[in-house]
Amino acid sequence: MGFDRRAFLKIAAGASAGIMVTPVPWKLLDDVSIWSQNWSWIPVPARGASTYAEVFSKMDPFGVPMKIRKVGGLPVRVLPLPEHPLGGGLSPLSIAEVQMLYSPGRLRRPLLRGADGKLTEISWPQASKKLQDELKNAGGKAAFISGDETSSVTEVLSAFANALGSEDMYLMPSEAQSAAKAAELMGIDARLGYDIEQSDHLLAVGANILENWGTVLRNRRVFANSRPHSFRKDGGEETGDSLSLVYAGPVQNNTAAVAGAWLPVYPGTEGILALGMANMLIEAGKTVAARDFEEFKALASAYTPEKTAELTGVDGKKLEAEVARLLTAQKPLLIVGSSAGGGAGPIMAGVAVNALLGNINKPGGLVLLPKAAKVLKGASDLAEIYRNDLIKFFEREEKPALLLIHEANPAFALPNAQACAAALKAVPFKVCFSTFMDETAALCDLILPLGMGLERLDDVETPYGSGKIGYCISTAVGRPDAGVLNTANVILNIARRLGKDLGFELYADILKAKAGLYGKGGDPLAGGFAVESAERAEAGAFSFRPEVLGKALAPDEARGKLRLAVYGRASLGTDKTGIPPYNNKTLRADELAGSLMSVLLNRATAARNNLADGDKVSLESGGGKIVARVRVFEGIINDTAGVCRGFGHTALDEFSRDKGANVMEVVRPVPEPETGLNFWAKAGVDIKKA
Amino acid sequence: MAPNYIPPADAALIPQDCERGPLSCFALWLGALSVILLIGVYAAYLVLSRGLGMTALDDYFGFGLWITFDLGVIALGAGAFFTGLLRYILNIDPLKNVINLAVIIGFICYTGAMIVLVLDIGQPLRAWFGYWHANVHSMLTEVIFCITCYCIVLIIEYIPLILEQKQINRVPLFHAIAHNLHVVMPLFAGMGAFLSTFHQGSLGGMYGVLFGRPYAFRDGFFIWPWTFFLFILSAVASGPALTMLIAALMEKMTGRKLVSQDVKMLMGKIAGTMLLVYTVFKILDTGAWICGLAPSAGLTFDQFFYGWIYGKWLLFAEIALCGVLPCFMLCSASMRANPRLLYAAAVLDCTGVVINRYVLTVQTLAMPSMPFDQWATYVPNWVEWAPCFLVLAYGGILLSLSYRYLPVFPQEVELNGGQRPGSKPNTWGL
Amino acid sequence: MSANKHFNVKWGMAIDLDKCTGCGACMVACQAENNLAPLADASNKQRVPNWLVVYELSNKKSFPDHEIAYLPRPCQQCAEQPCATVCPVVATERNEEGGIVSQIYPRCIGCRYCMAACPYHARCFNWFDPVWPKGMEKALTPDVSTRPRGVVEKCTFCHHRFMQAKDKVRAGGGEVYVRGTDNKLHCAVPEDGYVTSCAEVCPNGAIVFGDLNNPEHRVHRLVTGNANAFRLLERLGTDTAVYYISRREWVRRLGDNYLPDEDTQKPKQILPKRH
Repeated sequence: MGFDRRAFLKIAAGASAGIMVTPVPWKLLDDVSIWSQNWSWIPVPARGASTYAEVFSKMDPFGVPMKIRKVGGLPVRVLPLPEHPLGGGLSPLSIAEVQMLYSPGRLRRPLLRGADGKLTEISWPQASKKLQDELKNAGGKAAFISGDETSSVTEVLSAFANALGSEDMYLMPSEAQSAAKAAELMGIDARLGYDIEQSDHLLAVGANILENWGTVLRNRRVFANSRPHSFRKDGGEETGDSLSLVYAGPVQNNTAAVAGAWLPVYPGTEGILALGMANMLIEAGKTVAARDFEEFKALASAYTPEKTAELTGVDGKKLEAEVARLLTAQKPLLIVGSSAGGGAGPIMAGVAVNALLGNINKPGGLVLLPKAAKVLKGASDLAEIYRNDLIKFFEREEKPALLLIHEANPAFALPNAQACAAALKAVPFKVCFSTFMDETAALCDLILPLGMGLERLDDVETPYGSGKIGYCISTAVGRPDAGVLNTANVILNIARRLGKDLGFELYADILKAKAGLYGKGGDPLAGGFAVESAERAEAGAFSFRPEVLGKALAPDEARGKLRLAVYGRASLGTDKTGIPPYNNKTLRADELAGSLMSVLLNRATAARNNLADGDKVSLESGGGKIVARVRVFEGIINDTAGVCRGFGHTALDEFSRDKGANVMEVVRPVPEPETGLNFWAKAGVDIKKA
Repeated sequence: MAPNYIPPADAALIPQDCERGPLSCFALWLGALSVILLIGVYAAYLVLSRGLGMTALDDYFGFGLWITFDLGVIALGAGAFFTGLLRYILNIDPLKNVINLAVIIGFICYTGAMIVLVLDIGQPLRAWFGYWHANVHSMLTEVIFCITCYCIVLIIEYIPLILEQKQINRVPLFHAIAHNLHVVMPLFAGMGAFLSTFHQGSLGGMYGVLFGRPYAFRDGFFIWPWTFFLFILSAVASGPALTMLIAALMEKMTGRKLVSQDVKMLMGKIAGTMLLVYTVFKILDTGAWICGLAPSAGLTFDQFFYGWIYGKWLLFAEIALCGVLPCFMLCSASMRANPRLLYAAAVLDCTGVVINRYVLTVQTLAMPSMPFDQWATYVPNWVEWAPCFLVLAYGGILLSLSYRYLPVFPQEVELNGGQRPGSKPNTWGL
Repeated sequence: MSANKHFNVKWGMAIDLDKCTGCGACMVACQAENNLAPLADASNKQRVPNWLVVYELSNKKSFPDHEIAYLPRPCQQCAEQPCATVCPVVATERNEEGGIVSQIYPRCIGCRYCMAACPYHARCFNWFDPVWPKGMEKALTPDVSTRPRGVVEKCTFCHHRFMQAKDKVRAGGGEVYVRGTDNKLHCAVPEDGYVTSCAEVCPNGAIVFGDLNNPEHRVHRLVTGNANAFRLLERLGTDTAVYYISRREWVRRLGDNYLPDEDTQKPKQILPKRH
């Protein structure tokens, strides 16, 4: 019998039927659901035992203690550390810190710019030698910028600058700098702090305290604790709050969203509002035993409620109501601030109001904190460093021979950003210690990769806004990348080789000594936990300085068609970090559409400028120009354009790049009369359809 | 047979006594369709290899052009089951002249819908889960079951036609199969009618049960929302119309008479009758929706519409222009007798049903469900269009092959018998 | 799958909209906890996988009477789900003690019918395979599997944390479900023993998580008899497990669709349902 067609068909049919009764097809079918879940190109999370480490965020400037969960020794999650005095919850930036360890914008090897302008990788010993040589050549003509005012690295840099004979040691402009200037001018030999925990009425003027001003997590915890969840039986009573919160500012921001009231004022008029309130408080009989009270009274009396309302745009009735609330509250507290660039004048006016409210160094009031401790003999006080104005430095004709930048991004963050970048370019040798390839790093000649907070030993001393002195050590968690080093150790090493003895060989020893000064018990370098001290400084020879205040706050002419209100969002990260990988997902469509960001105008303002929602417009000022899309938003004061800061990165990684424009390009700094600072809260812009 | 008729090269395969164009013309035509098909294949490749992100669909519009297309062709393919029902179960004899065409169109529509569905689901390898892990509460489960089963019925109905091909039919076995299948065809027609009724209904039910989507949600009877019944009615009102339109289109393209005008008018009459029933219920349903359901959901009539893209004109076009008007035209014997009016009415009828499927798919999803959300808009991209055209091209190819080689139209020989040679040019050479 | 199953334990949330400042920390924590992939361009909000979205609410008044509020929207974990009832393959169901609506990724065929059904837009689809920048996959947590393209995903109330909390109880030799003082069965996991990632990170304590059925849990006390508490689209009858609290009437009114002259306080007409 041959193998004919019939036999073939029989075998085929038999085989088909036979296979169907075996588990093979069914198993394969079942496996499809497994294969289609576990494709090789989709990463599978690694497994391992979970361990935890307590650290303090070096990335978020607003005081974020955190707990790191590690799996198999590698950090995977940032968790809150509610037991910490500043803890409770997390900021949108800090949560992403673990992911940012692997950001595509990370710097991993030292880079040196060659004669052709191209960057090439070099080894750390080479980089260190190069830096040493350049510093040796520059000597006293070297300049230093630190972007981390709470870290002892600033102290190391200051001591080194002094040892080299350089007077150019700067910190990035900050609220702490403005506050330090205000305190100094008012004869207060201390730092300003705010005891919000014990206050029962908080008026935040310009300070976005629940988003990006001061010790945000602590502010928010205090706010949360003071406000029980509302419970209303039908027809019944509401539950009362132990702290009432009012926000005054040009934009209905995150703080205003939950504040009991929003007091719209024009940007840059926060100080005038405070002065107007001071006048009303004095009228109500408040006095202060200060040598220049009468002069201050005279100055304030010019800011009648009508004048104040006219200058600030505030509603007269609301102003009266708010002053009445300050007068009736048991422990009222006024916080004047800005997201940066507000100047010292408004803070002085705020101190004046608090003095009139009689809350200085009282529970729930404005508290005076002792100055930061120092362990390096050759270093300047923080207050001294604050006196150096970085904007003036960049405007100076004569450039330093060398500029060393630690953890700062002036090319992006400073007002008139392009001019700063140009000034930076003019410096013969620029070197930066940076975690990411940011706008400033991209301009530098020597770029030194700095470990992220999670990868290095560092400290945090009393972030601005805190009501108490606090000191925290942050230790490295997991395995730090081999390519990164700590700025302080590199500088200490070079100092030694240049024969400048700073008194310490290792940064760790500095931190140990400092922990000792702050009375930190146990292992001085154990991470996370803080020592806290309720120590208060004396008010000293407090005076109002009306002669300074009057000029610093004097209303001046408009600088454009519209006033410019710059606001911030914690989600957008900092100038140094850019937008963390996950955080661009938190932006709403009305904040960023494609690569176009929004400019906020209220309906009346938009109509006056013949603009409608969705129009593409350009904002111009002093030669700078940015493009945005109009978002008609009724939560902004008249004749004001609101622009969010933190967009428009041109360096860093794909999560930050090509998203909106950098508002600092249209912000022009101006010298604040009498205070010696530059400020930019009163910026204006011209707007037109693009 | 015309004396000057030159039989094409493939004459041996062509049905007895039927005139066909040269093979080269036919090949050219198939080639043109194949180009469209290949573009669709490339789009399908993009979707399958890179993901559905290649389309313009998004989290608001999980359903879009493809689902609209599927629902559209399935409704318009209803000519197959409904004609079958009328022909085999209710014994309306003249319909035997279009039943083959109706079956082929049905087959194209259903298999075409399946092709698009394979692209549309994110995990085509898991398509069989619908059987294995069936959720009996889901209208979509019923759709999956009925559509696949009905597809098998359509294959069974198509097989005898293929076996009747001149050469194949010479094999005694195939001849016997074809003959026997014809004998049991009423059984399959009945099964088809049952399955098809249910999945047409379930497709409508899919939307009617969406109680979170006030544009689509409807009250109903027992477990079935009114959309269940409206989808059945609209399908049987438009399916016969499309079958008739395609017959007319094929006559135009081939230059040959394929179906007698009285049969077409009968199809028009069937469509018109069903459209009358449908339109009445659709108007009642719309009224109940606007006056009852909408206010109880806290919504006003105006809130269901947005701008031009989802404007009220769509509702007007669907119900008045493409519902009431063609219904009137198709129900009037004198208008049916005018081929132009007959075809125009049929086109309107089909358009109305497609608009219905579109708004229920897209406008349902575009409308904000939460008061603080906003209207979303959706415009399909080429990656979504191309597979739809792929299905149209595939249908064209299948119809062309069937027409050329299979005895699709029983009246063809008779209708063209007395014709003088070359009196009607076969412009397309098919 | 089925209609309104009763469970002894019903995990739920009370989100205090008077405390939420809209910072987005919850959204970021959710992504890190649940291994969502970052996106370089996340400006097309209808294509961005987010299990939790914070909406900005407006009272629609003109300056200066304008007010805003922020509303975080996780999956509402409906007892009467629009989604699970329509899933053809039972890839999502509410069938476990605790009342969390599951999402079974290896089962999902990606038909997106559940997304069409969900009025809360709580569901997102993996339009592409997830991609992490090189090395960032090392920061994935081992608790949640990554998802391939072509499947739907959604908030699970960090269900893995529930599993871990139950394991902890069992490891301690305890029973997971015990009879409470009210003589009903409750979960022995302590109130702070199982908290979702979003609730955990909120610095304002705006999200309160717990067992809605347990009188000893804060969330139960907050929503029971509280006229300031409401749920989203309540008149649909979805019987959600996420409550919102606000003392502002305009905020509460945005929780549902109301006819212009309709009173928020009136008992709501629930739409009929069939399954």
